[in-house]
Amino acid sequence: MPKLIIDNLEVTVPEGTNVLEAARKLDIVIPHFCYHKALGAVGSCRLCAMMFLEGPVSGVQMACMIPAQDGMVIATNDPEAVELREHVIEWAMTNHPHDCPVCDEGGECQLQEMTVAGGHAVRRYTGPKCTFTNQDLGPFVQQEMNRCITCYRCVRTYRDYCGGEDYGVFGSRNRVFFGRVEEGPLESFFAGNIIDACPTGVLTNKPFRFKSRSWDLQEAPSICPHCSLGCAVIPGGRYRELQRIRAGVNETTNGFFICDRGRFGYDHVNHPERPREPRIDGQPASMAETLAAVRTRVQDLVQKHGPAAVAFLGSSRASFEANALLREWATQVGSPHLVFEAHQGRDRAARVLAARLGEHARSLEDVRQSDLIVLCGADPLAEGPMLALAIRQAARNGAQVVVIDPRSVKLPCSATRLPLASGRLPEVLKALSQKDLSAFSRQERSVLDGLAAQLESARQPILIGAADLLAEAGVTALCAAATKLSTPERPVGAMVLLSGPNSYGGAMLTGAADDFDTVLDAIQEGRIHALVCLSSDPFREAMAPARAQAALGHLELLVTIDSTPTLAAQRADIFLPARASAEMAGSYVNNEGRMQAFLPVLNPGLPISQTGAGNHPPREFFLQTPGSEPEEDWLILAQLLESASDLATIRQRLASSDQRFTELPAIAPETPGIRMSGSGQLPPAPPSELPHCTPSDTLTLLAVSAPLGSHWLAHLSAPLAAQEPQPYVCLHPEQAKELGLNAGDRARLITHLGHCHVVVKIDEMMVSGQVMAPQLMNTALEGMLPGSVLDCRLEREVQV
Amino acid sequence: MNPYPQVLFKNRRPGETILLPEYEKTGGYLGLRAALKMSPEEVCNLVKGSGLRGRGGAGFPTGLKWSFFPADQPGDKYLVCNGDEMEPGTYKDCQLLLADPHQLVEGMAIAAYALQTSVGYIFLRYAYEECSQRVERAIAEATAAGYLGRHILGTGFDVELHVHRSAGRYILGEETALLNGLEGRRPNPRSKPPFPAQRGLFSRPTNVNNVETLANVPHILTHGKLWFQELALNVESAGTKLFGLSGHLNCNECFELPLGITLREVVEDFGGGVRGGKKFKACLPGGASTPYLTAEHLDLMMDFDPLEEVESRLGTAGVTVFDENTCMVAVTRNLNQFFARESCGWCTPCRDGLATISWLLDQIENGQGTEDHLAMLHGQVRNIKGRSFCALAEGAMGPVEALLRLFEDEIKDHIRKGCCPFV
Repeated sequence: MPKLIIDNLEVTVPEGTNVLEAARKLDIVIPHFCYHKALGAVGSCRLCAMMFLEGPVSGVQMACMIPAQDGMVIATNDPEAVELREHVIEWAMTNHPHDCPVCDEGGECQLQEMTVAGGHAVRRYTGPKCTFTNQDLGPFVQQEMNRCITCYRCVRTYRDYCGGEDYGVFGSRNRVFFGRVEEGPLESFFAGNIIDACPTGVLTNKPFRFKSRSWDLQEAPSICPHCSLGCAVIPGGRYRELQRIRAGVNETTNGFFICDRGRFGYDHVNHPERPREPRIDGQPASMAETLAAVRTRVQDLVQKHGPAAVAFLGSSRASFEANALLREWATQVGSPHLVFEAHQGRDRAARVLAARLGEHARSLEDVRQSDLIVLCGADPLAEGPMLALAIRQAARNGAQVVVIDPRSVKLPCSATRLPLASGRLPEVLKALSQKDLSAFSRQERSVLDGLAAQLESARQPILIGAADLLAEAGVTALCAAATKLSTPERPVGAMVLLSGPNSYGGAMLTGAADDFDTVLDAIQEGRIHALVCLSSDPFREAMAPARAQAALGHLELLVTIDSTPTLAAQRADIFLPARASAEMAGSYVNNEGRMQAFLPVLNPGLPISQTGAGNHPPREFFLQTPGSEPEEDWLILAQLLESASDLATIRQRLASSDQRFTELPAIAPETPGIRMSGSGQLPPAPPSELPHCTPSDTLTLLAVSAPLGSHWLAHLSAPLAAQEPQPYVCLHPEQAKELGLNAGDRARLITHLGHCHVVVKIDEMMVSGQVMAPQLMNTALEGMLPGSVLDCRLEREVQV
Repeated sequence: MNPYPQVLFKNRRPGETILLPEYEKTGGYLGLRAALKMSPEEVCNLVKGSGLRGRGGAGFPTGLKWSFFPADQPGDKYLVCNGDEMEPGTYKDCQLLLADPHQLVEGMAIAAYALQTSVGYIFLRYAYEECSQRVERAIAEATAAGYLGRHILGTGFDVELHVHRSAGRYILGEETALLNGLEGRRPNPRSKPPFPAQRGLFSRPTNVNNVETLANVPHILTHGKLWFQELALNVESAGTKLFGLSGHLNCNECFELPLGITLREVVEDFGGGVRGGKKFKACLPGGASTPYLTAEHLDLMMDFDPLEEVESRLGTAGVTVFDENTCMVAVTRNLNQFFARESCGWCTPCRDGLATISWLLDQIENGQGTEDHLAMLHGQVRNIKGRSFCALAEGAMGPVEALLRLFEDEIKDHIRKGCCPFV
């Protein structure tokens, strides 16, 4: 642990820490452009110059490039160092345009800050400036190359960290250009990170362009609601509109970056069809009236049909607190029907995970440090994008990556691949843990034998799956494999991607209840008369949508609490508008079991862009903010329960009532979060009619989620919805040949759900025998619930 | 004509390239044979003892560099010859390779043995296509004769050499940028440490030497270190040096001369004196990145240490002479334009600082300069020198800093008169 002195202050830092970070520990800000903790030090901008007075190096040196060593004495304000920093800023500003007043970066521009801090006010250079022609980089990133100061952060982020290949450095001297070979949308799913990485206004957020100055934005630390990884984000709102999201920092989870789904998936909060008023039987009512109506009607039904006549459906995207209060309510009513996910497969997978994950749980940081990553039935880009980046970092450090999947799983790194039908995934996990691979073909064994050996020798192996394809049997097998392959000296980690930001929390709250299909049966049979839906949509999410729709039609009372325009919200007898996560405080429990707190960014209200029809100020005035009725989901439930209605008390009560949640009151925003202790309950034995793979000569269709188009909140966000793909299916070239299909052909996909038109994609990494179709909202493929396996036919359509 | 012993140029004849039989007749590959009878450490020590210093510009002792190389580390290691000769005023490696390329091949085989590397790359400037072809032919001849390839000369040692043609920028002469270029990456320099000897080409230990340096090695092996030391006129130095003359001289040619020869002798006896009977004003002693020498330095020894004592450098010994009618501001502007153009764009002082200097010298030369510009020029030099990522900008500051040191009056004259006094 080297001990050094910076500006007369002593600091001790871990071995390998650079001087810039050591100074940061003393709250000494060392100016810099090119240095970034996640991207490392490259010494290109020369702004972090410090005077090294004593110790192993001497003279003016770059703080980022020098590892802190014992005996160093460093002065940040030495005249020589200050003079160099002034020059670096002057050089950086030589060609920079005078457009701060109209630049979107203005106010959060590192160059602006450094220029002001460095005292550079007059440009001595009076010659012509270098100028560039900008490129259209697609819908998310706006380029303005004239502002570039050539810090190389964007390429280091895009290429090195994120593994993108279509953006790079061109030219030399003071004509260095950062961009694509030719104009076109950036291909990486992490492209938005270059917006955060750029220290000035070269790369800015295109959908956010000209909307707000950064100082006018309200920001607060939050947790991304778009998948189960729980990445730290910082949403920004203004004029009652959530206008953008940037990456937050949590070195245990996402690190410094986020995916484009998280970054551009803010717009569901502003959705024009978002239900914002409480309703009773289709008529607007006050919140108080509506709450009273819910209480009365539920009580009436309980009195009439007994407590089991009311069912409760929690949510993977509602706050943990709301879900916990829903459980309290169910307990209070005495109903045994409490389910936290309408999708049966996902529900059971999450419950198995919560019951069995235990000490095998691994964070994204653990993945980054791992040396062997086995992805079995997980497609990170679709199911948890930041996992793909974490895997890439491990691979950059030499980790081996093995992918066992029926799909052609796209990763930003190279991997060993074994295409295997979805039904065989649990089998392969079992075989690996029992070290008996005899059931596999020679070709398959060529990958599996190597993997088995690697699993023996790896230092920090992690098995990674996902709820959709693995389902209950697969998650069970994955956790069992982690246990079986672990030794006390060499534990094996596990990670399973779940469906939502609070799936794990819901699973921890679930008791021995049956799954939602049983609830549907009971509704169908008239045993359940009322359903309370918290931020979930059984009409869309239940495994057999047609059956669900029929059954739900029998309900006497449907109560829906939500912040989005779901079918359940539309069809509810009583509707209670909830706030989106960016509008409230609360917590989510990510797929590792990590409880993370988030804070409100803005208050709910109809965006002024909507009320003013583009004009500002609005021409109509109200005493109350229009559209401001949504309340925190936990507050709605607390009021229904007529219990304490402040978050601290609620967390305290949950902590004292269930010892697994003891740490809940201790969680705070902008911290790594705290992993839940204890485990959940296993679901009862699976029902006989689980989705199956028919060994017939018909094709099987595997429904999966896609990076864009399958996720409800992302689908409601306009910038992302515009990028959703057209319906397609993907299959192996041999399969395509058999069916007489070519890439790009239009085809008719026929399943028992009906038929629809799709485009054919061909990928040789697909397993043969299975056709993959993504669930795509608002298209003919909307009914393709991820994880389901259906018989199908595929017919080529003749072009007219 | 040239009274001094010829070592590297002994087989040089206009328009000819020596082939293997003639090279062997004049003692070729005896050095390699001698080396293979010694242990690698002995070869290393011999080169160290000979006093051979790098001929690429920096003058670092070659044997010392070799002694840092982890020759006994297992796994791939590389030897790289830096033939990216692109400094204005420097053309000696080209002359050497055109005349007698086997010296490089033999030198690399010996170095490979001394450093226990079995793969060598010869990285040549894009414009040296003729050299590349001749070196390739020499490699083919040497391979056929058993000097290269598997089990060279019946020993258990393997060497293979490859010629790589550079994509053609000055920065590729910087050894770490060269390694990036060789790997197929953008040729930005790498940070040191780690040095190439620890982590070089493809992240493996790599030794990089200049063409002329490696070409000297066979002769040291053949004739011994004392012979080599006695070649120099300066007792503290060793060997001969290829001097490439250019500029306002009557005879602009490349000569092999002993280290320690005076600048006057180079200019007057070999360069034939300043063109048109004019007076000698200044010269670049060793390529575009070396600070100027003036008439007062004419009796200095052209060698590494004596030139450093007068704040200049021997560099590559590419001597460019300027006569009394030359505007040194214009010369410096021209040189600086080259460096500004060749900056790779990695670090700010080089990328934007050199461009700023170009602009300032433009202003002064064009008669628009002010005292503020002069002060700004001083500031640029102060903050580029020693502050850039690699040696490119450092080298670029050589002539600029010398201009300010030696010819400040001339700059002030420009400012006072509002035009260039030499036009």
